[in-house]
Parts: sequence; structure tokens; C-alpha cells
Amino acid sequence: MDASRDSNALSDGGSERATAESVRTEQAARQQARSGTSSARSTTAMLLAPGTIWMLLFLVVPMLMMVYVSFWTQKTFSIEPTLTVQSWVAFFSSETYFAALLRTIKIWLIVLATTFALGYPTALFIGLFIKNKTLQTIVLVLCVVPFWTSFLIRVLAWRPMLGKEGAVNIVLEKLGLISEPIEVLLFTEFSVVVGMTQIYVVFMVGPIAFMLSRIDPSLIEAARDLGAGTWRIFRTIIFPLSLPGVVVGAIFVSVMVLGEFATSAALSGRKVNLLGNIIVTQVGSLKWAFAAVVGVILTAVMAVVIAALLRFVDLRKEL
Amino acid sequence: MGNRPFLRSALAFYTLLFISFLYAPFVVLGILSFQAGPEGGPQFPIIEWSVYWYEHIFGLTPPSRVAPLPIGEALIRSLSLAFMTMVTSTVLGTMTAQAFRRRFKGSGFVFYLVVLGMIVPGVLVGLGLALVANNLGISRTWWGTAYVAHVLYTFPFAFLVMLAIFNRFDRSVEEAAWSLGVTPMRTFRKVTFPLIFPGVLSSMLFAFTLSYDEFPRTLFAAGADLTLPLAIYGTFSVEIHPNIFAFGVLTTLFSFSILAVYGILMSLSVRRARRASIQEDIE
Repeated sequence: MDASRDSNALSDGGSERATAESVRTEQAARQQARSGTSSARSTTAMLLAPGTIWMLLFLVVPMLMMVYVSFWTQKTFSIEPTLTVQSWVAFFSSETYFAALLRTIKIWLIVLATTFALGYPTALFIGLFIKNKTLQTIVLVLCVVPFWTSFLIRVLAWRPMLGKEGAVNIVLEKLGLISEPIEVLLFTEFSVVVGMTQIYVVFMVGPIAFMLSRIDPSLIEAARDLGAGTWRIFRTIIFPLSLPGVVVGAIFVSVMVLGEFATSAALSGRKVNLLGNIIVTQVGSLKWAFAAVVGVILTAVMAVVIAALLRFVDLRKEL
Repeated sequence: MGNRPFLRSALAFYTLLFISFLYAPFVVLGILSFQAGPEGGPQFPIIEWSVYWYEHIFGLTPPSRVAPLPIGEALIRSLSLAFMTMVTSTVLGTMTAQAFRRRFKGSGFVFYLVVLGMIVPGVLVGLGLALVANNLGISRTWWGTAYVAHVLYTFPFAFLVMLAIFNRFDRSVEEAAWSLGVTPMRTFRKVTFPLIFPGVLSSMLFAFTLSYDEFPRTLFAAGADLTLPLAIYGTFSVEIHPNIFAFGVLTTLFSFSILAVYGILMSLSVRRARRASIQEDIE
């Protein structure tokens, strides 16, 4: 553009032609950059190929392999590629394994409820009540920092908290609320739910706070001027507007809780077996075909849950 | 809503409780890591304050009934793996995001394919890779199958970060360089890279930390030589001792120091960018 301005100054006569030419070259350059020419298209393909191939080869193929192996024949310590539904029948006819499926769904629903119930008020405070952007970021970072530590250590940290001689029991006894230590705090479904809630609640707080902080304050002011009470404002304005955040948070939490096995193994003393735990034990005893069956079932459950949640919100639009 | 003083202070108080719920286990873990040893157990009360369990980790204590944590080689493996994963996923993420700056057919498919890597549960990724490796007769190793699994997980993070960065900056800057006859390679080095540097740094941070801490994907994919999280998980099933708490404190400090390095590099790059823009103004 500078060049064309210079030529303008130099000769008045040729200015029109020079400008037209520069516009034309610029258009050509842009066209070349955007799309259309085959060289641009091959550059795109070259840039995409490594990542796409990596995902197809190491994620999609193994998942298909898992479906395939679930129909293989399980021998005592090996599997054979003779197709059978034996492992599938074994899963659905066994009370233990079917119970694990139900327990996984139950724990998932409970953790979804607790992360929402505990996380929403915090998100409300961060997103709506803290007006200062810097302070907002600081509080949010404060919530995220525990996520920065080792996952296994985070899980393990609940043991000295909830144990019979743990911190919670000691505090409750000191306060005189209980005379005997509560034993059911650790190595029960309760401890698994507490552990998972603490680990995953951040994923609920973040998206909700983000949606809340985008609400235009004048909207709430207008509602108040028209005489709406606090509860009515919350019910008819704030909550509906925060709903996409809730759904995104629910997707995050669901994806992570459904595939869990480490928290339940470490905090339940192997008493609470989720689908993930079944896979780990089966692989441990070389029952690959059976592990694959459980894997396919887990995938199916997740696909249904995510598809159901995505009906409420367009993820690509919101993010 | 924001000017209801009672509601405001109630929610502020609640948030305080919430944050202490998030931090309490760490505080307890940190306190108990200073338990007396070797007879002190992983619970209250503290018999005597000591750094015995920290010395225990580094093998500075006389042998006792508590076995030392098997972390020496596992730590080196985990650090190497995290470094390999960091480089690969940052390169893949930048390349793929760069491709997304142009509209192309099937972009939706590629987008969801990449994002799938962070959605599919780790235990299934590990299982699938183990099945394929077993069937092809490939032995499972931390630098082979586990490395592949880690990149599957961290590459989507790098991709999303870089996508956000590319969406933000004005491509006319690059076009200007091209139209002035600067070669594409030089343009990338001198124009594009400085602009996307914060994103690259963030991708590296994500990839390194996620890989260093990765557990469910590694469990089936790593084979016989364990990474750090696997070694730690192995000690869960038996009785736990405060040495694992001391280890928890140390590894947390390590994560925070990585975060600090990231913060320093980031602020340096911001300052350099500001200085460059001031220089341009003067010229």
C-alpha cells in the first residue's frame, strides 16, 4: 500500500492504473492464501496429515480393535480370534458385573449432583458478584490450583482426612459432636463420592462462572426496576442464561467420572467396583476379551450420556 | 443481584468454605509428611515433628521395615516421556491449528477426531493400544505405546490452545511479509512464531504436566518399566506410610516450579513484545 501511495505522489497520470494493479495483485494474493489453488490445498493436507493419522491409527483403530476382540474366544490365559458372544453373555448373566454397571451409573449421577450443588454457588459468586476482573481471575485460579498437583496424590490425600483416626473424626470429636469416631467415612461409597467431587468440581465451576460473567448487568437491573424479586430474577434470568455452562460442566464431569477407576480403587479399599475397575482386574488376569466387552459397554454408556447432554447445547458455538 | 449485601456476604463465606474443602486434604497431607519415623504412622497425632520421611525418600535413613519408594528410575522415565510428549504434541497441535486457518472440507470431522483424544477415558485408550500391540506382537514400553497414548491425550490440548491463538491474530501481518517477498520459512520464524509464542509456551506447559502426571492411559500401555505415577500407584495397595505424603509434597512443589518457569518465560515474552512495539513507534 505504501508503494502505491508513493507512485501516486510521483506521477498523477499513472496513479489510477497503479492503484488498480495493486488491488488486483492483492486480491490474487489473498485468494491464493485463503483457498482455491492446488498448492494451498496440498499445504493444508500436509499440515493436517500427521495429526489426523496419529488419531486414526492410535485411537480409532484401537477402539475398533476393542469392539472386535470383545467377540473373540477367551481361553484361560489367552484369546483366540474365533468369533463368539460368550464374553457378552458372561457379562449380562453375571450379577457382579451387571451390578458394576449400575453402580457406575449411580456414582456418576451422585457426583454430577454434588459437583453441581457445591459448585454452582461458588460459580455464582465468582461470575456475578465479583465485579473486578483481576479478582475474578485470582479466585478462579485459586480453585484451579489443586488441579495442578498429582492426581494420585490428590486421591490419596483423602485417606488421612477420612480415616478412623483421620482429621475429620478428630475435629468432630473435639467439637463434641460425636463421642465415637465414625468408621464409615473411609473405604465406602461415601469416600469415593467425596474424593471425586473434590477432584472434578472445578470443571463445573469454570464453565458456569464463565457463562454468568457474560450476563449483561443492565438486564438484571431492568428486571429489578420492573419489580422482580431476587429469587424470581435468579429463576427466570440468571439460571437459564447459565444453563449452557452447566451442560458443558456436566459433560466434563461425566466424561471423567464414567471412566474412573483409580479413585474408587484407592478410596474404597477395592469394595466399590466401577466398570473401570472391572477392566483393570480382567486385564490383570489376562481376560482380554472380557475386558474388551466391558470397554465397549463403557463406551456405549458414555456415548449415550454425551449425546443426551449435547442436545441441550451446541458445544462448538459456546466455546 | 450484585448489590444484595446479605446474599453477597453469604456467598463469599460459602466460597471460602468451598476453597478450604479443595485445599484441606493437601494441608493435612503436608502436616503428616513431617510425622516422626520410622514408627510414626500416616495419621494423627504427630508423635514428633521431623523430616525423617523426606530423608527416607532420598535414601538417607538407615534401613527399616518401610521399603523405600521405587521412584529413582521411574522419575527419569517420566521426565523423558513428558519431554518427548511435549515436543510432539506441540508440533502436531501447531501444525493442525495452522491448517484450520483455511476453510477446508471435512474440518468438522478432523476437529472432533482430535478432540476425541481428550474425551475417551484413559482406561479405554490403554486397553485398545494394548490389544493392538499384543496382536501385532509389539512389546509395550513407556517410550513406545505409552508415548503414543500420552500424545493422544495432550495433542488435543495443544491444538485447542493454538486454535484460540490463531483465531486472535491478524493474518494480514503475514500477508504483508509474503507480498514483500519474504520466504514462507522466514516469515514463520520472524513474524508468525513470535506472535504465537505464548500459545506454544502454554501448549508445552499443558503437555508436559499432563504427561508427567498421566496414569490411566499409562497403566496398560507402559509394559514392565514403570513411570512415576505407576510406581506410586503400586504402593497404594499395600499399607501406606508418611513417605508417600512427603513425596506428594515434593512432587507438588515440582509442579509449581514448572508453573513458575512458565510464568517467568511468559512475562519475558510479553515484555519483549512491548519493547519491540515501542521501538517500532520510535522508528
